[in-house]
Amino acid sequence: MGIRSIGELICVQEIVAVNAMMRYWKYLFPTGLFALLLWGGAAVCRVDPVALIAGVPQGIQLLGHMLPPAWKTFPELIGPALQTAQIAFVGTVLGAFLSFLIGLIAARNVHSMKVLRNMVRAILSAERALPDLIVILFFVAIVGLGPFPGVMALAASSIGMLGKLFADAIEEVDPKPLESMVALGATKAQVIRYAVLPQIIPSLIANTLYRFEVNIRMCILLGVVGAGGIGFNLVTSLRLLKYQEAMAVIITILILVTLCEKSSEILRRIVVGQELLR
Amino acid sequence: MNWRRAKNKEELPYKRWYQHHLIPVGVFLLTLGWSMVDLKMSPQLFWEGIPHFFDLVGEMFPPNWQVFSRGKTLWSILETVSMAFVGTFLGAIGAFFLAPFAAANLVPSRVIREITKRMLAAERSVPPLIYILLLVVVIGLGPFAGMIVISLGTIGMLGKLFAEAIETIDPKPLESLESTGATKIQMFRYAILPQVIPSLIANTLYRFDINLRVALFLGVVGGGGIGVDLQMAMSLFQYADALAITAVTLVIIWIAERISDSFRKRIIGQENLQ
Repeated sequence: MGIRSIGELICVQEIVAVNAMMRYWKYLFPTGLFALLLWGGAAVCRVDPVALIAGVPQGIQLLGHMLPPAWKTFPELIGPALQTAQIAFVGTVLGAFLSFLIGLIAARNVHSMKVLRNMVRAILSAERALPDLIVILFFVAIVGLGPFPGVMALAASSIGMLGKLFADAIEEVDPKPLESMVALGATKAQVIRYAVLPQIIPSLIANTLYRFEVNIRMCILLGVVGAGGIGFNLVTSLRLLKYQEAMAVIITILILVTLCEKSSEILRRIVVGQELLR
Repeated sequence: MNWRRAKNKEELPYKRWYQHHLIPVGVFLLTLGWSMVDLKMSPQLFWEGIPHFFDLVGEMFPPNWQVFSRGKTLWSILETVSMAFVGTFLGAIGAFFLAPFAAANLVPSRVIREITKRMLAAERSVPPLIYILLLVVVIGLGPFAGMIVISLGTIGMLGKLFAEAIETIDPKPLESLESTGATKIQMFRYAILPQVIPSLIANTLYRFDINLRVALFLGVVGGGGIGVDLQMAMSLFQYADALAITAVTLVIIWIAERISDSFRKRIIGQENLQ
């Protein structure tokens, strides 16, 4: 479409401008509502930029108190750090084992009872919706303080996610080996061992490793609610205002988390795409 | 030849799986055993816990809904949701402004890109626990500290996701705008934003779901909100209160997830801001 005169050009420009205005106009109401909600939320949170700015020198002062980190406490921290890693490890393994059993019940192609399957799936999704913190608090209440409830809590909170992932992995296996084994008259255990497991074990291990990374972070929180590990050291040293020791603990935590993540990443890379359990 | 006989003579062409993976399996089992002994895990502890579990469940029922007749509990719930909401928003804004500096197709300087990426990665690797414990010292207990921690964690994750979204856009509109001599801001507004905004909003909504849980946890370590009440009820052995709070929290989380889900569904596949 050609534009023949200056007048027409202005006209076209006006139409474009009005279109542009209309485009933003329809967002006015949602944006206004959103801003209102945001303002309300900020008021509830007692957002206070003044306090934040006033906190900046205090934060710098705090950092000053923290440096240099108390290097000589490191030997004492190795024990709790190791315990944290152990809790995460045992909790993840236990959780993965239980999740595998649950995954078998929740998978369509292994298990034919629809009612049971749906029930298990519903429980799994409810478990996922439950924040891990609540699971942990309940386990501390049941089993008491110490590393044992930590392991149980991590295992229980892993089941929601891993159970679903395992069930999905089992459902997606190539059905041909399964069918041929059933046709041969293999027992259920044999079918699972020789037709299902070899196909899913790489994804099983990879998912478990991923969950281990999540759990090692969670395990640090566990210490705060009294379930053992290095988180406890952090809270106590801060409560006792021993900031230099707190810094040493923070550094230890960061090293621990990074080490665990890197090693699990390396393991995952080795496992994925490899044929295990032949 | 008989299959069974062949096996007896060890003529089968394959080894058992654990013979293939003797070292990793051995290391795994040894570590597991050592950890379990070291943590003093025993089935006995577990069996002893079972009657305790039923005691606890017995004490929890019926849930004490009276806790909500105190205005404070309701206010705490509002605080938790607000912390998550405002924290997610601020974090998303921060990520939105940081992400372009980490995207290879926008910022040619490798140094700036690497610095931004490293910053975001460092932020992700610090557990929120450390942030909150330090912030509580600096600005005191309460939901404001919790909100800042939430927004910090959000920047780390969303910054990375936004940068990746920007890097994977279709380059053609970008190139054609560049060839017409558009400024950097115009290029961002008309070539990049329309392509990334659906994934941007979807990721932010997803992070909101996560942040609700983080907000709950932050309460326990001094960030304000319903976590405080839950922890208090638990440590005072008021399990009926704790159950009521848990139930209501779950309902709130469920509703928030439904809402963010429906938003996400509406936004994905829709082309906004053309």
